[in-house]
Amino acid sequence: MSSLSHLRRALLLFLLLVAPRVPAHGQRLLIPMDDGQTNHLKAYGLTYNAMKTGVQAEWLLNYRGGSFLLPDAPEIRRRAALDGISTEPVSDAQLASLRREMSTGNMESVPLEKAPRIAVYTPAEASPWDDAVTLALKYSGIEFTPIYDEQVENGDLSRYDWIHLHHEDFTGQFNKFHLGYRDAPWFRDLVAKNAASAKKLGFSSVPALKKDVAEKIRAFVERGGFLFAMCGATETLELAIAGQTVDIAGEFADGSPMDPDADARMQWKRTPAFRDAHLEHSPFVNSMSDIDGHQVNVPGRRQPLGTFTLFNFSAKFDPVPSMLVQNHRSVLNDFFGVTTSFTKATLKPGDIVLATEEGAPWVKYIHGDYGKGTWTYLGGHDPEDPQHAIGNPPTDLSLHKSSPGYRLILNNVLFPAAKKKPLKT
Amino acid sequence: MLVALAIWVGNTTRVVAQEEDPRPELMKAFEMENAGKYKEAALLFRAAVRAKATPDAVLGLERVYAELGISDSLLAPLDSIIAQQPREVVYRTVQLRTLQILRRDDKLRDAFERWVRAMPKDPAPYREYARILIQFGRPSTADSIVSRGRIALGSLHDLEYENAQLRAAMGEWIPSAQSWRRALVDAPHLAIAAAYALAPSPPASREVIRATLASPPAQAGARRALAELELTWGRPQEAWDALRALAPDTAAATMWEEFGDRAYGEERWSIARDALVAAVRVRRTSQLALRAATASLRAGTPQVVFTLVPLAEFAADSARAAREYLPLHVTAMALLGRARDADALISRYDRFTTPAQRMRLAQLVANAWVRAGDISRARDALRAAGPDADSSEAAGWLALYEGRLGTARVLLKQSREPSPDLAMAMGIVARTRGDSAPLLGAAFLALSRGDSGAAATQFVDAAVRHPEVASALLLVGARLNAARGVDATPLWQRIVAEFAATPEAVESELEWARALRKKGDAAGAATHLEHLILSAPQSALLPQARRELELARGAVPSS
Repeated sequence: MSSLSHLRRALLLFLLLVAPRVPAHGQRLLIPMDDGQTNHLKAYGLTYNAMKTGVQAEWLLNYRGGSFLLPDAPEIRRRAALDGISTEPVSDAQLASLRREMSTGNMESVPLEKAPRIAVYTPAEASPWDDAVTLALKYSGIEFTPIYDEQVENGDLSRYDWIHLHHEDFTGQFNKFHLGYRDAPWFRDLVAKNAASAKKLGFSSVPALKKDVAEKIRAFVERGGFLFAMCGATETLELAIAGQTVDIAGEFADGSPMDPDADARMQWKRTPAFRDAHLEHSPFVNSMSDIDGHQVNVPGRRQPLGTFTLFNFSAKFDPVPSMLVQNHRSVLNDFFGVTTSFTKATLKPGDIVLATEEGAPWVKYIHGDYGKGTWTYLGGHDPEDPQHAIGNPPTDLSLHKSSPGYRLILNNVLFPAAKKKPLKT
Repeated sequence: MLVALAIWVGNTTRVVAQEEDPRPELMKAFEMENAGKYKEAALLFRAAVRAKATPDAVLGLERVYAELGISDSLLAPLDSIIAQQPREVVYRTVQLRTLQILRRDDKLRDAFERWVRAMPKDPAPYREYARILIQFGRPSTADSIVSRGRIALGSLHDLEYENAQLRAAMGEWIPSAQSWRRALVDAPHLAIAAAYALAPSPPASREVIRATLASPPAQAGARRALAELELTWGRPQEAWDALRALAPDTAAATMWEEFGDRAYGEERWSIARDALVAAVRVRRTSQLALRAATASLRAGTPQVVFTLVPLAEFAADSARAAREYLPLHVTAMALLGRARDADALISRYDRFTTPAQRMRLAQLVANAWVRAGDISRARDALRAAGPDADSSEAAGWLALYEGRLGTARVLLKQSREPSPDLAMAMGIVARTRGDSAPLLGAAFLALSRGDSGAAATQFVDAAVRHPEVASALLLVGARLNAARGVDATPLWQRIVAEFAATPEAVESELEWARALRKKGDAAGAATHLEHLILSAPQSALLPQARRELELARGAVPSS
């Protein structure tokens, strides 16, 4: 065998051993999240699923709309190509330049370490299209586990890092839908199923069961869990926690009228976000309290939709709120829900307001710590269906691939993955 | 609830607008209301009611008070108006509506009871109260009111509509359909409301609903409701079957014509033909007959044309016959392969046609000869139309059928009327090497003669002879097979495996994946779609492929 052929064999061996470890284009893949991205929502799924395989990602806060940085691995490229996600290979030199640029502005890199274990509080038989969060998770390819009263009561919450609540009424009054739908088959079915569940789990009524579930969710957050709630779940969870020992449900729900002194007996010290709210005592008024600013289902009180603006936080000093508002838009169209917004008068002083409507007495998006955990509330039902009504067709997110409103939801899914840094202040 | 209020307000506005009221303060009130000046309108309506309570003034006051969110202010004036005119249905109805909006359930019930006491044998209180309860989502209470009405009035006859609505609202689909069937006898105009109410019924109830609405005797209202339901449930043929059973009279003919025109617009040709032909038989106009004949041609039943639009009808006006009916007759003859008859007919009307018309008719005759398998006569027919015939698109097609690709390329390229057939032919002809391709010509000829089975085989055979365009020829073969229900998988598979770099490989894989997803093999579909996306990242079909992939993965709702 000639020396040339030896050399060829050695070169071939070298290529076989080394070449696969050298990325074809660069060491990292940048997933831009500004207008250069073709599918913002799936980019979250790409990052989440990369983390699930043990890959460490970085969230480049305020850099090109809150971009992600991933290793340039064939599987990541493959998934990005399948989902139509824009990626840009970044060499070491380019990465160094990028980091220099970030160090000079309100930008920060946050390592994302471990994909959070996600639970969504929803009945097992519910379609994923009923809830904006399950819609977003399904579309972006992020796995989640539906859990409901029985699982919460059995202590299953401890298996998860993050839980989402949507339009559940934790006061047990079924969002007062009896006013308009008391004889509708779907409503009767809902009431019957919940009543059966309460009985099975040893509670005297649905309000009693839901209060206990709310209490377990509160304890989950207190122990270090991440809570994200939207729509009516935000307001009613707080009412149920504050009203643990008070009858806050109407007679139609638990057979006894609401405590006339309920307002005075609410224990707002126990709640994460709200204080001093006034309950709606009339069973004929489709509202729970004055926490919601828009009161969509109360003729005469209903407020029109406007726009809301995301606050800009210091990425270096306030990384958590920064993560929650990463977006390629800063002003978003508002959208109704059973609870659409949160009146400023009912916010606790420690609440961090993430988005507000300029000049309005309410805010849209809030966050805070509670015990060892955190909570985030976003008012409204579906960011891409602002006037959502019961029976409307489901939102098809392939038509809203870059929805800024849905990005807020997915920011919440990823932020628990962030590695905690020591505070700089 | 807001929507319901809006609809109701809209209706009352229209009713009021239709009535003439010379009272100037009332006219001014309407003006203010229309301008959105509700406070000013309220003052004027209130003054009008004080001066003389009339239904339009009270309805106006109700509307503007609702806009201002002060509906409770209406209750006191209503009490005194009703005391003066206790038998006026409008005031009683407004009172019920207002109390319902204000959620004063007890007072609402009292108002209803007072109305019943004032008019014990009148169906109006039961009807209006039940309607309000249904509208506001309380069918159980409405049910008890209708039951009381039935006992008080001795039958359900005057409450059939309310009963039908509330049964549907309670999900009692079969009793609802039975009630609708009875209600529609006297009120056929409620057919659309019936269809709307019954449309959400689950598939398990639908057979009984169909049988109920279709029960003899066939009546217009019930049959129209059934037809609308069948359309909503995606069964257009059954929709027509529901209507065709009606006795032929002018009312039925109107329904058939409307239905036929709708089917025509949706390109459901056989249904459009049947409905329009049925209408023609009852109430013939030349325009209706023309639409029926056109639908017949497109539905593939050309022989009907000769009786639907007989040329004899315009015996005294040959120019009109040539303008309106002749093209249909020639087309029908061409489709039936009666080229000789078509030729003779054109000659008969020669002096009534323009050169452009003659060329179009000659192309039809040429097509007839093609269908008959005689290309030579087809060419003669074209030439007879004038000196330009040899350079026409039709001549290009003839050249293609004969396998003369060089000529076909030149002539087809000049066409000014793009069509999917032309685009497909040009796509193949442009990529085929050489000027002669008899096998390929034979495949196109078979396709033109409507023999898609033979055409599919011949396109696949031609692929061997023309490897430079084999992928396109195989894809045509695959599509022809898929369209007639023959498994196209072997051809898709061959294109993807042997011609991976061609655009047809991407199209094949997409069509293959769609077929798999339709069969319920989502995983198989996803595998193909992933392969497609990764192997052809620049393809223009990528958005469609990604959409299909999302559907296959269940990442988006499939509706």
